Amino acid sequence: MPDRPLTRLVLEKPCCDADAPGRDVGHARVALVGNPNVGKSTLFNVLTGARQRVGNWPGKTVSVARGAWRTPDGEVTLIDLPGTYSLLPGSPDEALTRDLLVDRGMDGRPDVVVITVDCANLARNLYLLAQIMETRVPVVVALTMVDIAESRGIRVDVDRFAEIIGAPVVPVVPRQGRGLDALRTAVQGALAVPGPPSEADLGEEVESVLAEVIALLPGDALLRYPERWLATALLTGETVPGVPEDVGERARAAGACLFTDDELDDLETVVAERRYAWAHRLIAETVRRRGDVRATLSDRADRVLTSRWAGLPIFLLVMWGVFTLTTKAAAPLQTGLQDLVDGPVTRAAAHGLHGVGAPEWLSGLVLNGLIGGVGQLLSFVPLMAIMFVLLSVLEDSGYLARAAFLVDRLMRLIGLPGRAFLPLIVGFGCNVPALAGTRILADRRHRLLTGLLIPFVSCSARLTVYVLVAGVFFGSRAGTVVFAMYVLSIVLVVTMGLLLRGTLFRGMSYEPLVLDLPPYRAPTIRVIGAQTWQKLQAFLRTASGIIVATVTVVWLFASIPMGGHGGFGRTPIEHSLFGGASRAVAPVFGPAGFGDWRPSATLVTGFVAKEAVVSTVAQTYSMSEPSDDHRAGRLGPALRQTFDRTSHGHPIPAVLAFMVFLLAYTPCMTTVAAQRAELGGRMTLFGIGLQLAVAWLLAVAIFQIGSLLL
Amino acid sequence: MTLRGCAVGSRLEICQVTGDRRHRRRLIELGFVRGAVLSVIGRGTMGGLVLALGDSRVAVDAFTAGTLLVRLADA
Repeated sequence: MPDRPLTRLVLEKPCCDADAPGRDVGHARVALVGNPNVGKSTLFNVLTGARQRVGNWPGKTVSVARGAWRTPDGEVTLIDLPGTYSLLPGSPDEALTRDLLVDRGMDGRPDVVVITVDCANLARNLYLLAQIMETRVPVVVALTMVDIAESRGIRVDVDRFAEIIGAPVVPVVPRQGRGLDALRTAVQGALAVPGPPSEADLGEEVESVLAEVIALLPGDALLRYPERWLATALLTGETVPGVPEDVGERARAAGACLFTDDELDDLETVVAERRYAWAHRLIAETVRRRGDVRATLSDRADRVLTSRWAGLPIFLLVMWGVFTLTTKAAAPLQTGLQDLVDGPVTRAAAHGLHGVGAPEWLSGLVLNGLIGGVGQLLSFVPLMAIMFVLLSVLEDSGYLARAAFLVDRLMRLIGLPGRAFLPLIVGFGCNVPALAGTRILADRRHRLLTGLLIPFVSCSARLTVYVLVAGVFFGSRAGTVVFAMYVLSIVLVVTMGLLLRGTLFRGMSYEPLVLDLPPYRAPTIRVIGAQTWQKLQAFLRTASGIIVATVTVVWLFASIPMGGHGGFGRTPIEHSLFGGASRAVAPVFGPAGFGDWRPSATLVTGFVAKEAVVSTVAQTYSMSEPSDDHRAGRLGPALRQTFDRTSHGHPIPAVLAFMVFLLAYTPCMTTVAAQRAELGGRMTLFGIGLQLAVAWLLAVAIFQIGSLLL
Repeated sequence: MTLRGCAVGSRLEICQVTGDRRHRRRLIELGFVRGAVLSVIGRGTMGGLVLALGDSRVAVDAFTAGTLLVRLADA
């Protein structure tokens, strides 16, 4: 075959809505497009710094980060589009990227696309580039992972590359800030004089058919879509909105004389193969390799980390490490912050309030309501920070992809991918960072399902209540009962997973595992720090309102007297509005065997925080909190008496029902806040309803069946 | 033959990618196209394989391995 040129210049104007040269750079939109795991988001973070916001694209469920990028000519809006391997819309994420690039009817289209091309994995990245070039949007290539490629002996002739594709190519190392000025200059140039890149040559047969198809295209479709992209899409059997179906049929008929029957059945594959062939020709032309391709350090690590004999033990060890760090390491910091707020901060505020002569109710509101709520929120900050750091480290180092591969089959049983293992494990420590951890799941439905399951994972705060209650009622067998609660928690997660998969998430098809394993890399402190800070800010923004409001409302209820017992803030809890409300709720728990105001009050505070349950138990019996969970002291007989009475002589099933309710219902308001941040308001409400329903049904079933047996 | 039974260390050429359209798309966009040469570099739990395809490393499960028709590549 004679050598065909790799590309052809495109001579006409890029698209109908591009203004004349020299247009205002300010308010221009630049989109970042690229494969996942090629440093696209790192580049985005470095370019925009803190000046960014993350939110859904208008009218879509696709989360997109936008930020301001300062250039000497003015500020440019940088849009970080979701990572994608191709412009064939396989997911809502990919569909958005494609529509923005090809559909001139879309609002918010970018003026220039910066495509990140991973130098260490060129073929796959060039495959995407070939498709983007078809859209004729002005392109700037940011060549990433240059350092990794060089360490493997791969050198790219940047000038030749740029010449072939007809667009600027800029090597960058965002982590070190290298190449950013050159990238800025290239983008400014592309904005000032917008021009389309060249066309990738797809070989004689495809090109001749494409020329025929282009001749068939109706004029109004060409006003909306770039012609070459439209011709390829129709030829490969895509239906394009606004283009009559018969045009597609005629386009496919045009291919009939040149391809075999087998190929005609799957022209999409034929075209994809040609794009890859183009990518390999471009590589042959521009890349020099030094030495042989030998097993990299990454490969040697993978031989151990993904192997059958060592992979799983190492994975469990890593999960244990994550679990320990999010529970044990965070604990002293949490108590430290809580003590700081409860002690010096509260004292100083009390002093200040007293000094200005604030009325008692105001002091109560500020000290017990607002400061108490903020204290609770702050105590979660170290925990969340640790979780976010660990997530970044696992993700950026490349290990998370391996871990997902190892447990994928196991997690598929409940309809979730392997990655979902991590948030669920973390949930045993605390549900709040676990919910934040659902972000490692790319598919929104997987995130929702995992987010709905996490509250059924028994967190460590629930453990303190199990230990107290089991200690009182089961004596030496308390350990077994507590262990059984954990077993039940796992059973609940699996059952609810199966139930939700069979009902609400029925459409979620089985997805075979095809997982890109990025090379192992040492994560940099700068990137991890920036990511952690952004996620932490977002958490504080969404969670602070709910937490402070709930704590304040509970304090208010506990302070308002009912029936003339004492003044505001000086009433015993039994005679407060809180006691009254608990009494009103109590009958609901009658069928579960604990229809008394005291257990109800405990469950109400348990909704706020499980950490507060033990102290509420003590408060409702007007006793001081037991200093040692294992020796409940005088609280024991009092508790036994209550359950004896409410269960009509079947205290054991009633207590088991109470504990199971505690396991299954809403963990705490911080979880609610985190759910709202991750799943949205409607799903959060559905989740709360689900938790309450499951908890109540289980508790009633346990008591009713148990009281027949015990 | 399919990739499913191939030993660690073998170098193979892809003859055909089978499975439904969505599945084929995902494989193709990662570079699993006819004529591409891959090698099996590891075997994980339950029939999963770690593959080297050019410069990229891709993990697939047993099902996916069964959808890739391959033959031994020339040395």
